[in-house]
Order: sequence, then C-alpha cells, then structure tokens
Amino acid sequence: MKFALSVLLLLLMASPAFALDGTALLKQVDRNLNPESYEMYRKLINVEPDGRKKEFTLFSVKKGADKIAAVFLAPASEKGRSTLRLGDNMWLYIPNVGKPIRITSLQSVVGGVFNNADILNLDYAVEYDVARVEDAGNEHLLYLKAKTRSVAYDQIKMWVDKGKKLPTKIECLTEANLLIKTIYFKDHKDFGGGIVRPAVIETDSPLYKGYKSIMIYAKIKKRSFKDEVFTLTYMPNIESLR
Amino acid sequence: MRPVRFRKDFPVQALIWSAVLVIGILLFCVPLVRGEESYTFDVAEIEKKPYSFGGYVEFRPVLNILDKDAALYQLQYYYKDPRSNLMEWNGRLQLEGSYEKGIGRVYVKTNTDLSYSSFADGDERSAFFEAYGTLKPSSAWKVEVGKKNLKWGKGYAWNPVNFFDRVKDPNDPDLSLEGNIMVTADYVRSFDGPLKTLAITPVLFPVYDHINDDFGINNRLNVAAKIYLLLFDTDLDFIYAADGSRTARYGMDFSRNLTTSFEMHGELAYIKDFQKPALDAGGIVRSTTEDAVSGLIGIRHLTTFDLTTILEYYHNGTGFSADDMENYFRFIRSGYQLYQTTGNDQKLRAAQKLATGGYGRAGPTEDYLYLRLSQKEPWDILYFTPALTVMVNLNDWSHSITPELLYTGITNLELRFRASFIRGSRDTEFGEKQNDYRFEFRVGYYF
Repeated sequence: MKFALSVLLLLLMASPAFALDGTALLKQVDRNLNPESYEMYRKLINVEPDGRKKEFTLFSVKKGADKIAAVFLAPASEKGRSTLRLGDNMWLYIPNVGKPIRITSLQSVVGGVFNNADILNLDYAVEYDVARVEDAGNEHLLYLKAKTRSVAYDQIKMWVDKGKKLPTKIECLTEANLLIKTIYFKDHKDFGGGIVRPAVIETDSPLYKGYKSIMIYAKIKKRSFKDEVFTLTYMPNIESLR
Repeated sequence: MRPVRFRKDFPVQALIWSAVLVIGILLFCVPLVRGEESYTFDVAEIEKKPYSFGGYVEFRPVLNILDKDAALYQLQYYYKDPRSNLMEWNGRLQLEGSYEKGIGRVYVKTNTDLSYSSFADGDERSAFFEAYGTLKPSSAWKVEVGKKNLKWGKGYAWNPVNFFDRVKDPNDPDLSLEGNIMVTADYVRSFDGPLKTLAITPVLFPVYDHINDDFGINNRLNVAAKIYLLLFDTDLDFIYAADGSRTARYGMDFSRNLTTSFEMHGELAYIKDFQKPALDAGGIVRSTTEDAVSGLIGIRHLTTFDLTTILEYYHNGTGFSADDMENYFRFIRSGYQLYQTTGNDQKLRAAQKLATGGYGRAGPTEDYLYLRLSQKEPWDILYFTPALTVMVNLNDWSHSITPELLYTGITNLELRFRASFIRGSRDTEFGEKQNDYRFEFRVGYYF
C-alpha cells in the first residue's frame, strides 16, 4: 500500500513536466525574440549555389500583435520600397509606381528563399496554435498549427532551447506535411535593453536546391509608435522614422 | 497589315540575339565568387544622413518594323522617304535627391530623355518630374506642396479615377511620369474594429499660365478630395473633383484579397458634361457633350508555383467608338492621298491636332482587355522573370502580344528584352499603328 501511494505521489509530482503549457512557452519565445513594439535593421543576403550574392538592407517597425512595416534602404534599385502588414493585409509601395498595391504572404519582394511572411513576420502565437509539445533532449519540440488558412505555412515544427527559451530551428510545412523551408537561428547576441537573441537567421529550402538566404539583425530596440504609422498614407514616409 | 519579309541584312535577328546573348552571359557566365560562410552587417551602412542622392540611367535600343500602309505611319512620316524599319536609340537619366530636417523634407527628381532614330535627328527633353516639399507635423498629418503625382486608382494598366495625373502607358504602367504642381494634405486616423483606417486627402490644383497649363481651361484653381477607408479588410477610395479646368468628376475604387493569393480590384468614374470632339464620316469634327461613365474591374492571382496573373477589363466612357476611329483613319488616308498628289498637308496637320486632342492617347477607344502572366524565377533561376502581356481592343478585336524577359540578378542592374507583335485588320486601333513588330532591349542601372 505504501509503495502504491509512493508511486502515485511520484506520478503526481512528475505530471507538471508533461503538462508544459505550449502556448505560454510560444509566447515566451515571441517575447524573447522581439519586444512587442520595436524598431530594427536587417540585412538580407540571398546566396546562389555558385556563391553569387545579392544583399538588401531593411528598416522595420512593429506595433502590437498585427502591425508591421519595413522600408528598403539598399541597394539603390530597391531603395524607398516599403511594405506594410496589418493582420492578413499586406501592401507593397514602389516609389516609381507611386501607390501601394496588395501583395500576398507567399510572394517575395526580394526573391530567394525568404518570402513576405518571413520579412513581415508577426508573433508566432498570433498566427499559430500549439498542437503539442515534445521533449527533444536539450530542446522542446513545438508542433504549431496555423490558426487560419491565410497564414503562410500551415504547420511549423519549432525546436526551442530549454534554457534560453529561444528557437534553434524551425521547419515550415504544408498541410500535406511537405517541407517548404528550414530556418536556423544562430549567433546569440546582446542587443541591449534586455534583448538577447539570435542575430543571424539562415534558411534553405528543398524548393530552391542549393540556394540559401541569410537575415542579419542589428539595432533592435523597444519603441512605441502611433497607429497612423501603419497606414497606406504613411508608407512613402516610413524612412523618416529612422 | 502585311506580312513582313526579313531581308538578309535586316537587324532584327541581330537585336534579338544580342539581347538573348547578353542576358545569357549575365545569367550563367558572370565571373563567380565563392560564397563566404561569415556575413557581416556594418552599422555604418545604416547610419542616417539628412540628405540622399541617387539616380537611374538607361539605354534602350528599339527596332520597329513599320507598316507603311498603316494610317498612323502615314500621319507621322508622310514627309519622309518610305521605309520598312526604324531603329531608335533611346537614353534616360533620372537624378533624385532629398533633404530632411525635423518635420520638413524636400524632394527633387529630374528626368532627361535622349533619343535618336534614323527618321528623326537627335532629340533631348529634360524636366523636373517631381519637386515638392513635405511638412509632417505628426504621424496623422502631412502637407505637400510642389510638383508631384497623385497616382489615384487601383488598376494596373489603366486608372479611370486618376483625374489629375498624366495618363500612364498601359504597355509600361510602372514607368515614372512627370507630375503636376499642386498642394495636398493628408489626415489619417486608425481605429480598432471593422474600420481600421480613415484618410482624407484634399487637393488644390492650380491651372494658370506656366502652371499645369496643358491640363484644361486656364485661370482656375481646381479643388478635389479623396477619402480612403480600410473597411472589413477592403481598401476603398471615394473621390470628388469639382468643376474647374475640367468638368466635375466622381470616382470610387476598391481592392481586396479574397484569399491570400487572389486579389480583386475595381474603379468607377462618373464624368459630368464630358465634351468629345469626334470626326463624322464626312471628315467634319462634331463635338458632343454628355455624362460619361468609365470603369475597370480586375484580378491579381498568384499560384503556388509563382505565376502571377493580372487580368483587367476597362471600359472607357470617354473613348471613341469603332466608327469614330474608322472615320479618323479614313481622314488620315485621304489627307495622305491629298499630300501625295498636291503636296498639301493641311488635312494631315489637322489629323495630328486631333491626335493630341484624344485620338492619339494610349487607349483611345471604349473597351479593352489586359492580361499579364509573369512567372517568377522559373527553373530555379533567381531574379529571372519571363512574362507575357496581351492587350485586346474589344471593339475591333485588334491586339498586341508582348513576350518579355527580365533579369535583375546583378545588384542595381536591370535587363529587359521585349518583343511586341501588333495585330489587327485595316481601320482597327492596333492594325493602324505605325509598326507591326517592335523589339526593345532595356539596360537600366540604379545608383
């Protein structure tokens, strides 16, 4: 009887480890990656199989759960192009064209493996539910399922460092479980203001064999913005926020 | 339109093969640099300066295969020796700069076009495309004064609600255009709920001597306004332009993503008392005044394999009927015969004047269909986009078909090759164009 009670007690004590709150963990990962409202600079590098590279520099601003905008600073051919995302709505403003046009999350304004959803990414917890969590040694493996059909990837597998509560690898999958791309998080860096996160994200895709794209982060900092910054009217002026 | 026989010394093959060769060399044979595993992001690269300079330079040879029997050939080249092809050498230089301080910013963009062809000697035209100052006292307010474009409307090839800007060329809708002098303000508010954004844009558009004096009746201060709503995830614009240099106009447009990969857009314009001078069968100009309704409906679709389709139907309520166009082409033809027999070009000059009055504008008739298919990065060739554009005049079924190759793989360099096949029987819009074929190679460099 004593033995049975001891086993029951042990099981009860052990159960919290298995009942890890995946949603809370995902929200923690989101906050560790970025403050909810921020500004930051990114350099995107597309690398072709033969080693040729093309680089883009972006300035991005985000507010709350579903507002994000970015403007290209370089190269000269892309300078002044800006993108805006309000929830599921996305627009691209090209200075020559002079007016915002609607774009989709699966398109890519830069070419290469990163698409618009990767460049204008919202918090994962905004777009995905945690279907289940598995233990993977030093990492948690989160299985994420898109909340709506308008989300770029139907499923995501996210490996999260147990100590740092930051992702190390993400696999983006279709509804039929086909791998679209793999994203690797590298080079942890202290950006100041309590933001310690990977400074480099690398991605490759079976759809683009031999190609890879790299995103390097700089100057991430908390900043608050008025809602009016995230409007079509403001798109030609996003660079003035720098 | 007669079939064209290529002579042995004909330069068309040379132009095509040169363009294909250049794109091929750049795609596959550019000296390659092995990828490095470490990537740097120097903070100095993103240091903000109050000023900026940049520009664009372009070289664009064009080979036109001419249709000597076409009315517009006869109108344009009646005084030249007849020939079956025309080589154009075009150049463009655009310079832009800005200076920003506090809530103010000044922006200037100049444009210089150079052209030389075997029919016309060299031509050069320089203009300020844009030159305006911006005051932005808060994120909700913006005031702009100077020369600029409004770019109203959601259509890709046409914008019937764009009441003030110069009409864009549906063959190259993304080209930057010369602006007009005006004062605009923007007031924008954001909300939670189904109405996410409300923006109001009042416009003052002066037309006086040397200020927008090609727009309409002189000595008028034109007033207009646009209200923009982002309502239930749909972009909506309501536009009003008061009676002034042109008659009063009302417009609305919308754009909405029906799914993540399927966008729908449309425009509707109502123009009060539109005056249309049109030639009758006897060659007499008769002006009619009536309210006109123009509209556009279009879709943009992206497949999983990155094929973008743009399809638009455009009804131009201010356009000429097929009969009007036929009368115009016959008028030119009779003028050409008169010139050949007597040397009198008075009728052709009158026809040229009518061309600037409406017959010669891009899309002069009533109904058009526009289709553009562009495949991004086929066969895993990064930055390579082949496309096909088809434009059909639904009133006379004449059309143009334009395949295109675009490569942007070298930083700041853009290469585009286009071949246009312009088809139609006599007395139709495309059948009476001066050329049957057009081959264009464009090399553009941004700096």
